[in-house]
Amino acid sequence: MEHFIQVSNFEKIIPYAKLFGEGFVVTVLLSLLAVMIGFALALVLATLRMSHCYPFLWLARTFPRFFGFLEYTSKGTKRESGFWYRLGRFNPLAFIAATYVEIVRSTPVIVQIFIIYHGVFSLIKLPTGTLFGFIKFHRFLPGVIALGMNSGAYLCEIIRSGIQSVDRGQTEAARSLGLNRSQTFRYVVFPQALKNILPAIANEFVAIIKESAVTYTIGVQDIMSAVNAVRGAAFIVMEPLLVATGLYFCLCFPASKGVAYLEKRMRRGDQR
Amino acid sequence: MATSDNLIQVQRLKKHYGQGSVKALDGITVDIRRGDVMVVIGPSGSGKSTFLRSLNLLEEPTSGAIFFNGIDITKHSYVNSAGKTVTLDIDHYRQRMGMVFQHFNLFPHMTVLQNMTLAPRKVRHFPKRAIEQKVRALLERVGLQNKANAYPIQLSGGQKQRVAIVRALCMDPEVMLFDEPTSALDPEMVGEVLDVMKELAREGMTMVVVTHEMGFAREVGNRILFMADGKLLEEGSPSAIFEHPQHPRLRDFLSKVL
Repeated sequence: MEHFIQVSNFEKIIPYAKLFGEGFVVTVLLSLLAVMIGFALALVLATLRMSHCYPFLWLARTFPRFFGFLEYTSKGTKRESGFWYRLGRFNPLAFIAATYVEIVRSTPVIVQIFIIYHGVFSLIKLPTGTLFGFIKFHRFLPGVIALGMNSGAYLCEIIRSGIQSVDRGQTEAARSLGLNRSQTFRYVVFPQALKNILPAIANEFVAIIKESAVTYTIGVQDIMSAVNAVRGAAFIVMEPLLVATGLYFCLCFPASKGVAYLEKRMRRGDQR
Repeated sequence: MATSDNLIQVQRLKKHYGQGSVKALDGITVDIRRGDVMVVIGPSGSGKSTFLRSLNLLEEPTSGAIFFNGIDITKHSYVNSAGKTVTLDIDHYRQRMGMVFQHFNLFPHMTVLQNMTLAPRKVRHFPKRAIEQKVRALLERVGLQNKANAYPIQLSGGQKQRVAIVRALCMDPEVMLFDEPTSALDPEMVGEVLDVMKELAREGMTMVVVTHEMGFAREVGNRILFMADGKLLEEGSPSAIFEHPQHPRLRDFLSKVL
């Protein structure tokens, strides 16, 4: 290769500028929607993981004559360890949520995207229309859902840790005022948790912007697919890649800085 | 079983940890009458706080009973006057027991006003206008009328604790529980909080106070409980406890703190 990067090659990209512009919009929309879906999913998952659903304990309390042994030993004292104790504490909802989170966190995004696109959406036929004239709906939607399901698992852990980081005394104060469990969560714990986890959510958003580049493999026309289009048509690689680098940087850097600023402003009144 | 002037009856209350190896409460029986100012003293680790926190079930006792207005709140249900079995709603009873914590536990993301109006509005569904009037009157009583829109972080420790006290008072509790309310305060701020508590006592509020302030116990309390190792070792009037202590543990304790 004579000249690694040539200024004249950048001129060859100009006809494809529209492609990059559309790719930029697709990447932004894809990431925004994915994080929104992810956040909603994460709320559900975190609720499940922190739920108080103990069917075996319920059995023990509702039919103490038959299932009382789950809660009490033969001597009449409360169980605090052992198999029956653990069975009593078994929470199927939390188990399902934890299983989902661990599977998603332990597999590559590209595998998940392929499973959603080639697997799930080969069974569900999507209309092959376009949004705004350039977003291929039947490729875009599986991409959004796959990324959303992926970030849901990560955001679930972020939300859970945020909730657990709120001081126990806050819950105690709210409960002692007569608020029930869900009011305590809604008015006291969750607003404080949200403030704690805002930077982590922003990081997740930035991570999703970057990870969304993988969706070009299922034909989503994002920034990365514009690079590929130029490469195929004009036989240059480094120049379009540099343009993509610039675009991704312009997205991620201000996003992370912006939320850091927001976080600083919300710090007001943050201590007990 | 429950007479009208007995607000809370505690019977053989036990709280064990680790399958009974640690006995935080080892069979406490005591009656709290309306208008009592009961001060609980004792060395640290004696179970005073656990006892207080059991009264509104922030700690779930291992065994025993707590009757509040004649209803055992440690059970999941009770039989009402019509002879029907009703599920016990613990939130309903917690509303009637105000609690003040050592570390204040104000809600940091809310203003003083919001801290105080949250429970009356969401639990009691009081109209906003009426409750804000009441809150401002309460704030004025503790000298914090100009702090209504401040955030907790902008207040001193003594101010925070006074807000915490009036926050609990907003729910019109029948009894106030104080869990070492001055232990986390700088010495010069202890007085302002104790003054508010003294005034409450003068007005006839039923109070249970866990504290290390022996001066307060002697001056304001009408009954003193001495606890050690999860047991109630001695109970009596301030003069009996402080002038004529009987139990050797109490004598030993007083010789160290007085």
